[in-house]
Amino acid sequence: MSNRLTPAIAPPEREPPLARGRRRRRRSSPSGPARDRIGYLFLTPWFIGMALFTVGPILASLYLSFTEYTLLKPPEWLGLDNYRQMLEDPRLHKSLAVTFVYVFVSVPVQLVLALALALLLNRGVRGLGFYRSVYYLPSLLAGSVSVAILWRQIFGKEGLVNQVLATAGIEGVSWVAHPDFALGTLIVLNAWTFGAPMVIFLAGLRQIPHSYYEAAEVDGAGPVSRFFRITLPLLTPIIFFNLVLQLIGAFQSFTQAFVISGGRGGPSDATLLYTLYLYERGFGSFDMGYASAMAWVLLAIIAVLTGLNFLFAKRWVFYGN
Amino acid sequence: MSRRSTRLAALCLAGVMLAASACGGGSSESDDGTVELRFGWWGNNDRADATQKVIDAFQARNPGIKVKGSYTDFNSYFDRLATEVAAGRAPDVITLGGAYPREYGDRGALLDLSKVNLKMDKIGAAALGNGKFGGVQYGVPSGVNAIATVINPAVFEKAGVEVPDGDTWTWDDFERITKELAGKLPKGTFALADPTRTDMLDVYSRQRGEALYTADGKVAISAKTLVDWWTMTLGLRDAGATPPASQTAELITQPAPEQSLMGRGLAAMQFDWSNQLTALTKAAGAPLKLIRVPGETGATQPGMWLQASQIYSINARSEHPEEAAKFVDFLVNSADAGKIILADRGIPANSDVREGIASVLGEEEKAQAEFIDGLTPKAGPPLVIGPAGSTDTPKILDRVNAEVLFDRQKPAEAAADFLQQVGTAIQQ
Repeated sequence: MSNRLTPAIAPPEREPPLARGRRRRRRSSPSGPARDRIGYLFLTPWFIGMALFTVGPILASLYLSFTEYTLLKPPEWLGLDNYRQMLEDPRLHKSLAVTFVYVFVSVPVQLVLALALALLLNRGVRGLGFYRSVYYLPSLLAGSVSVAILWRQIFGKEGLVNQVLATAGIEGVSWVAHPDFALGTLIVLNAWTFGAPMVIFLAGLRQIPHSYYEAAEVDGAGPVSRFFRITLPLLTPIIFFNLVLQLIGAFQSFTQAFVISGGRGGPSDATLLYTLYLYERGFGSFDMGYASAMAWVLLAIIAVLTGLNFLFAKRWVFYGN
Repeated sequence: MSRRSTRLAALCLAGVMLAASACGGGSSESDDGTVELRFGWWGNNDRADATQKVIDAFQARNPGIKVKGSYTDFNSYFDRLATEVAAGRAPDVITLGGAYPREYGDRGALLDLSKVNLKMDKIGAAALGNGKFGGVQYGVPSGVNAIATVINPAVFEKAGVEVPDGDTWTWDDFERITKELAGKLPKGTFALADPTRTDMLDVYSRQRGEALYTADGKVAISAKTLVDWWTMTLGLRDAGATPPASQTAELITQPAPEQSLMGRGLAAMQFDWSNQLTALTKAAGAPLKLIRVPGETGATQPGMWLQASQIYSINARSEHPEEAAKFVDFLVNSADAGKIILADRGIPANSDVREGIASVLGEEEKAQAEFIDGLTPKAGPPLVIGPAGSTDTPKILDRVNAEVLFDRQKPAEAAADFLQQVGTAIQQ
């Protein structure tokens, strides 16, 4: 029963002729358009959900971004006013600066950590599965409210960090609530979620043929040059993949900053991530039109950066053949 | 063969869809005709317990109505409410306060209470006025409240400093006493938390014949008043009377009484609403008392005022406005409800309820009632509630205050910045 269904739910992708020929000989499975129809049939619930809950709201927000919409009264057409206002909004500029610092510091730190640990674990550590799970755990937890609350406790005035510092006779400030350090605690929190990219790196490392290293060793290559000549070049597609994913994710960070700053992006906007300001304008000041416009600008920023990423990828990403 | 697989696939799919639709059930009216109301409010666990008891009592009297309470702490309450209102899923009975009734009323989210059957004849006029805008009564006050100085006599005693006389003390006295406390209190205990909050700016400016807003919805506080205020609070910070800036910034993200310095027994004074006395006393584990804020005597006019502590309003889109009105009526007009809530939501605004519960009031509630009674003849003019957009003011003040406390802005710059930002917020 189940092996009869398996080919039916396979994605309707084009296959090499050889595979096709072989399949035709198996009489139990439908082929061609019929098979595609079944595939799409199974996708319908997802398509419905996508249209209702993703495409619909996205288009609605595009329309709202050209209006003044206070949630309670029908939207009023404004044209480009919201976008024009964004040019002169000092808090928006501040939130962009905060977000860029957050993304461009935390993502590289996170990826370097992930790679370093993946390399370490790839050296045949005993209990690899255990370590992999332990390091992966923060990725699952860190987006949660509870970890953000924990963070506030650790880096608060009477938190763990200050208690450790106190034993050395140093009186610490409240790290989460000091304009010079608050963003730093968020960056550390994001970098701490290196588990997800680490697991992907680990998988990538496993795919590098061992024979390359053996050959290099025979030729007298040391560990450093083996890393830079073999590991790193062959890992570039994985690095690229992680970079794109984490960059997009970091731009959309919200929960941690929201919880740690008590929903305000404080102190004095030091942790006002773009998404936080967007939320505040939309739900705090009832300015959904402006918030929608902000969302579209964020989309544009992420799209441009991802585009640049792909553009530059040609120069440094090495796909083997 | 292929047709059979297709049919099988379609069958499986139908099963999946059915299962999915089965999960999405649920409605606000159950099969037996019971009406279900949602009641949104903010507060801590003690208030939650009391509120649930009130709900139970209401349900016992009204078998056809079920009330579901939903609550969070004060900071997140309004974020959540905005989301719910936007989604058209706001509670039927909504608790509001300060400038929020006007904010939501002006935007059409609240029911005109003259359209439902709800008695308000026993409710004090001053508090009732806080729920009336543009001639429409949008809310009924839960009780009467006033901003006060909460005093922890034990901390004063520890420092060997005399508790000030609330009827006569001036702002100069206040500065002198806090600095004296700062010198004598152990490390980690403060004279008070940073006192900057919009309510205090209300008091401080009103004492000078100004106010935060004019009646026609403009900013009324002067730059000079703000500069004087921040000059004073910076002096307190430098003397160690208030915590360092980063600790203050952390404290404002934790509004619960239990997390405040006063609630942890780490402050001699705190400016707060009089109805917080019970919660603060319980948290601090020591008897606390209320005195008036400094500078009331000898001021141009008294800055303190009687305020509706919370306002109950009804969602304009509620499917069951009459039942909601019945519940609000029970909350504000029933002595039975009053005996459970006591003074937690302010001294009851309904005079009958107030008399009815006098005998069961505890120590702290009596102190609050006395405080409000003593203040009533001496209070200043009613407070001008800020216009739509003014609910941003506390957030703006927090930001600008952080700039001041972290020495990033001089008081004069901060004052200009604050006035400009509030002006923009209320114009929108």
